[in-house]
Amino acid sequence: MENVKPEPSSKLRHLNKLRWLTLATVFLMLILLPFIHLYQTYEAAHAYDLLTPTEKAISDAMESLTSPFVKEPEELSAIKGTTWSGTLFGLKISDPLAVLGQIFASMSLYWSFILTALIPLLATLLFGRFYCGWICPATLIYELNDNLAAWLRKAGLPVSRRKLDRRIKYVVLGVGLALSVYFGAVLFGSIYPPAIIGREIYYAIALGGFGAGAVFFLLTLLFDLMVSRRGFCRYVCPGGALYSLLGRYRLFRIKRNVKSCNDCAKCNVVCQFGLDPLQDNFGMECNNCTACIAACPTDALGFTINVQDSAYQGPGHLGHQYKKEQEGA
Amino acid sequence: MKRRRFLQYLASSGFASLVAGGGVKAANTPSLRYLRPPGAHDEKKFLSKCIRCGKCGESCPNRAIKFFSTENGIVSLDTPFIIPREQACILCMKCGDICPTGAIPKIDYKANAIMKSVHMGRARVDVNLCLSFQGKTCGVCYRACPLPDIAIRVGMLEQPHVLENCVGCGLCERSCIQIPQAIKVIPNHTRVS
Repeated sequence: MENVKPEPSSKLRHLNKLRWLTLATVFLMLILLPFIHLYQTYEAAHAYDLLTPTEKAISDAMESLTSPFVKEPEELSAIKGTTWSGTLFGLKISDPLAVLGQIFASMSLYWSFILTALIPLLATLLFGRFYCGWICPATLIYELNDNLAAWLRKAGLPVSRRKLDRRIKYVVLGVGLALSVYFGAVLFGSIYPPAIIGREIYYAIALGGFGAGAVFFLLTLLFDLMVSRRGFCRYVCPGGALYSLLGRYRLFRIKRNVKSCNDCAKCNVVCQFGLDPLQDNFGMECNNCTACIAACPTDALGFTINVQDSAYQGPGHLGHQYKKEQEGA
Repeated sequence: MKRRRFLQYLASSGFASLVAGGGVKAANTPSLRYLRPPGAHDEKKFLSKCIRCGKCGESCPNRAIKFFSTENGIVSLDTPFIIPREQACILCMKCGDICPTGAIPKIDYKANAIMKSVHMGRARVDVNLCLSFQGKTCGVCYRACPLPDIAIRVGMLEQPHVLENCVGCGLCERSCIQIPQAIKVIPNHTRVS
């Protein structure tokens, strides 16, 4: 019986930490930008003496935070918006779902808007649903919610992990597009969690209260807790459906190296999207979150450049089943 | 098979209730007097173009732009509006600059361009409420107007008269010292012509 347990040393396992950093940065920016907006309005009004103590505190904090970078508060307008549609130093970037919804709602092609989705579109063609795992501000809350679900489970409360049909979200996408045509309005913005999060944070900070979207988002959190693990992302989210379709033939995908796999199935447990890395079954849904890479004790998971997942490679060569088969043969 | 039947039933009934309920709620509330951001297209085209990103509100230095919840129908959910009595538009045209979708077109910050492209509404004076028409010289609306003598002129005793070129920014309504205000902006999208 060999007792070789090499420490996992692959650099890829740090990607998951990097991902959390990215998610947190995006989320913090969404909180910071409304405050910067408030600061800009205070400056534009030239009425520092008339501000309430709270407003003064906001103004002072934002001034000390931004003064190393810009001379005039006006220059802070370089970064505006949310992940739904934002402006970065003159470059406008929009969610492909927003563009698709607008095309259907207005039944016209407005190219200067459509082109703002070009960068996310190309990135999605290359990396699949990476937006869902790496940028989406709702993902941060959904993953924390999933940790909460694990605690509730430990405390003995029933947390359901039902499996539904993955194709529901394509129905949601199709029905949403049909309703957009019917109403002549982009309705996705109201049920798409990242759009809701960006908006509601702005409402709460700058306009002094949450809107209708916050209620909807709380319902999706409850749905995740009580019906299915990460259920909204997996089964309902129209953006996830669009990204899954676009990422069908993505180039960068996670692959199991069968020679160093020991069939421990930690990857399957850690995958919040309920995928099956152990049987090489990633499919369209994988959001390249790399949680399975970080969890793998033998560095069997890594990235590959291929437009298709490999077929099932059989049990891992370090596992019991493979050894049994070898001895039997 | 049973589950699939159930899901089909769920999807179709959800669709039907949305269409039925939404169709009723889709009509705008006529009692609500609001303006769209400056330069916005007419209501129908605006709603079909706006993606509800909220950047117009984020770029508004006067904090005039607010956002609908469900009070104006689900079609107007999260779209921007201005209530001029609370905070009026200062015609800085920054919302048009930042709007990615063309729902608020980009308009130059010049008086001619603004007069040509901005049609938010038209101010209307209520002579029974206006102080100047009651013999108490006021003229505050004229002084608040960003286009004096083009959009509004004053006659004897500073009595205001709104002209054809009024773009409907609402600064006159915001500044009116009467309660209720004697000058009101009638939005273009609710005006019966």
